[in-house]
Amino acid sequence: MTNSASGNADDAMISIRSVSMSFGDRRVLDRVDLDVYRGEILVLLGGSGSGKTTLLKNVLGLAKPETGSIMIHGVDITRCSRSELGAVRRRIGVAFQAAALFNSLSVEENVALPLRELTRLADSTIKLIVRLKLLAVGLSDAGSLYPPELSGGMRKRAAVARAMALDPEILIFDEPSAGLDPIVSAELDELILFLKRSFGITILVVTHELESAFHIADRVAMLYRGRLIAVDRKEQFAGSTHSRIRQFLDRQPDARPRVAAEEFISGYLKGSTR
Amino acid sequence: MTFLEKAGQAAIVQVEDAGALTMQFWSVFRKLPRVFPIVGARRRWRAAVQQMLDIGASALPMSGLMSLCTGFILALQSASELRKYGALEFVVALVAIGFTRELGPLITALSVSGRSASAISAEIGTMVVTEEIDALRVMGLDPVEFTLAPKYLAALVTIPCLTILSTLCGIFAGYLFLAFSMDMSLGTYFRAVAEAILLRDVALALVKSLVFATIIVHVGCLEGLRVRGGPEAVGHATTAAVVKSTFLVILADLGATAIFYFMGWSATA
Repeated sequence: MTNSASGNADDAMISIRSVSMSFGDRRVLDRVDLDVYRGEILVLLGGSGSGKTTLLKNVLGLAKPETGSIMIHGVDITRCSRSELGAVRRRIGVAFQAAALFNSLSVEENVALPLRELTRLADSTIKLIVRLKLLAVGLSDAGSLYPPELSGGMRKRAAVARAMALDPEILIFDEPSAGLDPIVSAELDELILFLKRSFGITILVVTHELESAFHIADRVAMLYRGRLIAVDRKEQFAGSTHSRIRQFLDRQPDARPRVAAEEFISGYLKGSTR
Repeated sequence: MTFLEKAGQAAIVQVEDAGALTMQFWSVFRKLPRVFPIVGARRRWRAAVQQMLDIGASALPMSGLMSLCTGFILALQSASELRKYGALEFVVALVAIGFTRELGPLITALSVSGRSASAISAEIGTMVVTEEIDALRVMGLDPVEFTLAPKYLAALVTIPCLTILSTLCGIFAGYLFLAFSMDMSLGTYFRAVAEAILLRDVALALVKSLVFATIIVHVGCLEGLRVRGGPEAVGHATTAAVVKSTFLVILADLGATAIFYFMGWSATA
């Protein structure tokens, strides 16, 4: 559990400090500490129900943690005013799992939406920026299409283009490879690496896809039942001996259901032979 | 769980419901000026016009036809009784007053609640499921201003208009009946209608239709925003929106009519 694998605390774009949250009696996040440093790709791994979606919602200011703080660009978004939160959000781009494109708007209009609503740029400037963003994600000839006409991979690319519209310093991906075939998913990984290399954007990726995680990550963090059990450079992480991490990396099923089933069957057999 | 606990829990759910409705109402109300033409944002006004076409203009054939039929039914039913007393011309007053005060606003509200409360909750519910509402928030755009406020304005503008039009349809159905049964001319009929209706009746009808409009759009939006989980939750929300808005419209109608009656506003001078 080393948190100082790269950079130092001054360089943290996002720093999460002892964030806890529960739904009813269930602890979803338990004193999570995590830093995302400038210019790196941090992959947050975790199985279903590990709390990674909840942590993401906290980082985006869509949910408030019960305790702890989340500093983004030096602003504590758990305590700041609405306008401060708005200012922080403008510097973050988010590509949602389901892309979250607006179906009534074309791809171009989707990308232009944040520019039209939040800036006072002239229409011609907006058009130019939109073309550049679509070019960067490889969708330059799909601008006039509507979201339902796009394939899953194109939709995610469009979502990335929209997330990049305001030139964010931080880009957040929620399950980028969910629902994509391996080829398209690999293309999206390349796009993420390309964005980091060419624009120096800090990137946080939340996923459970191991292959893509190890391909793109500088550092890997892992959540298990609401606790952060590891944060490390991916090489060290891959060699970890922590039992839960090994289980996740080696794709081993949880033993409990199998053992319970075996006990039940052996008990049943004993009963029937008597 | 004891009976008291159950009753208490049910009461808490109801109070939470009412609280959520009120909070949403005020947050939308504060944002409503942003949707107005000229003083508001141009894009919101355009969205509101689109909603007016969806909620209002395309509901016109249906609510118009429903009012026409109901007007005719009302004329037929009352005529069969009034004919016994040789008072067939009272059909005019009955249809005119009945439609202006009661049936016009109610039939319009019920047809819009079936069409639009479901459509609104399905649209917003889908936006919740596909994370579009979250995306708006994260982009720094207020979903209340962006998606809800245009719908509220559209409902508040179009439903009173629809009410006026379908009231006219209902009253016109009365004319059709009387023209066939006692050769009454259009001029005579509408002079009789004008005598029967007071301006106060029209004003009360418009107040009612504004209340109904608020209920329909409000319930539709709230049920949509409440959607959690997958697409099947959108279906439940749609059903709940139609059932609740229809029920609340009738309840509000009862309340309003009772108030008008006891205040003596409904007595014809």
